[in-house]
Amino acid sequence: MKYFFLFSLLVLPAVIFMVDNGNKMMAYADEDPIDEEEADVEGETEEGDLTATENEEDEDGPQSKASPDADTVLLFTKPNFQGASQLELVAGNPVEFLVGFRNKGPLDFVVDTIDASFRYPMDFNFFIQNFSAIGYNKIIKPSHEATFHYSFLPSEAFAGRPFGLNINLVYHDASGNSFQEAVFNETVQIIEIDEGFDGETFFLYVFLAAGVVLLLVIGQQTLLSVGKKRPAAKKAAPVETGTNNPNNVDYDWLPAQTLASLNKDKSPKSPKGGKPQSPRQRKAKRSTGSE
Amino acid sequence: MLQKLAILFAAFTVAICVEEKTGEIQGARLLISKQILNRYLVEGKDIEVRYSLHNIGKSPAVQVELKDNGFNSDAFEVVGGHLSTKFARIPPESNFTHVVVVRPNKYGYFNFSSAEVSYKVSDAPDAQTQVSYSSEPGEGGIVAFRDYDKKFSSHYWDWLAFALMTCPSLVIPLVLWYNSKSSYEKVSKPSKKN
Repeated sequence: MKYFFLFSLLVLPAVIFMVDNGNKMMAYADEDPIDEEEADVEGETEEGDLTATENEEDEDGPQSKASPDADTVLLFTKPNFQGASQLELVAGNPVEFLVGFRNKGPLDFVVDTIDASFRYPMDFNFFIQNFSAIGYNKIIKPSHEATFHYSFLPSEAFAGRPFGLNINLVYHDASGNSFQEAVFNETVQIIEIDEGFDGETFFLYVFLAAGVVLLLVIGQQTLLSVGKKRPAAKKAAPVETGTNNPNNVDYDWLPAQTLASLNKDKSPKSPKGGKPQSPRQRKAKRSTGSE
Repeated sequence: MLQKLAILFAAFTVAICVEEKTGEIQGARLLISKQILNRYLVEGKDIEVRYSLHNIGKSPAVQVELKDNGFNSDAFEVVGGHLSTKFARIPPESNFTHVVVVRPNKYGYFNFSSAEVSYKVSDAPDAQTQVSYSSEPGEGGIVAFRDYDKKFSSHYWDWLAFALMTCPSLVIPLVLWYNSKSSYEKVSKPSKKN
């Protein structure tokens, strides 16, 4: 008889757990249905609104529980997530996930909204960013199931930090009881994208290359000017115009053969003694030489 | 006798509990997403619709039938693919993708609703058939082709007209210059020969 009581001690909890599926036999805290005003506050917040949504008092309010007849499942499709390690989201890239909802109960369910929010990882009551609550308003008949698609974009400013990601599913059944279930409530890591081509570094290298080329050009110029100074002094010598230039003529402007013929005429005698040439003769000579 | 009965009962309840816990995981579970891949929905232009079926259950989904009644035939014309298909089997931990290309005949707002999928949750012959609905892309505005063309066409005729209109202002100075040039050359050529 003693053993019988021992066994009944084992059996009774099992029976309770079995029967428990729905109507609670054990004590549980009754919670108020979700406040309508609160849901509106979450729904209206924009994605870009980072600071304005940090309302802490909103989390202290009551939250309704999940229905035992609803079977929800979550699948991340955009960053492929296997569930083994911590989820990593790439900042600036859209994140997409699917929420599956199966109705196992006898009543219709209506899925109202799904919303996601980033929270402070140390304290999930502290909101950092709320994403739009998307209204689906989809009726799911008994033993049917439906899929819901949601996507959001983690801001690039959040790169390299952990966040608590909370995905909330709000639904109600045909008799008007509203339910809320956090289909995902974990800490995720926002990682920075390591793209192959970074514009900033590319232009840094372009700028460096331009600087090197500029230095080379300057070096070449200084070297040339230093090297040219001595030959330039010598170069003046071959043109033997002499100091006595009676007509004040700049001989640089004359063609080479004219100069040569002038020098030929000049060399034996003094420049003054030279036979004056008519301009017409000179012109003829030049045209035959150049053409 | 009573003890044995109690032991049997205990074993039975434990077995039921275990089965109930694992039963819902073991069957196939499909998540179906329906997505519109186009950025602009334009009247008379192709719209790509992608259906992805992810099986996240532990057993294969059998006799999967996908049917999309969302595109009625007077508003849409199917250009590629089929709006209702069958997949014999989707193994666990895998996904299927099905793409349909449709072309809208009218412009205006259109509500893209969900596709309907039915499948058997396992290979067993008495497996139950599960009805599932895909995700809804939601309401999308289909732009009239005229408005789209205004924004994105390459404006061949406009550029041709522009070229024609700019012609006089380019040609008249050219003609004037050419006249003066040729007249100058007539004057200067004989003088050079002298």
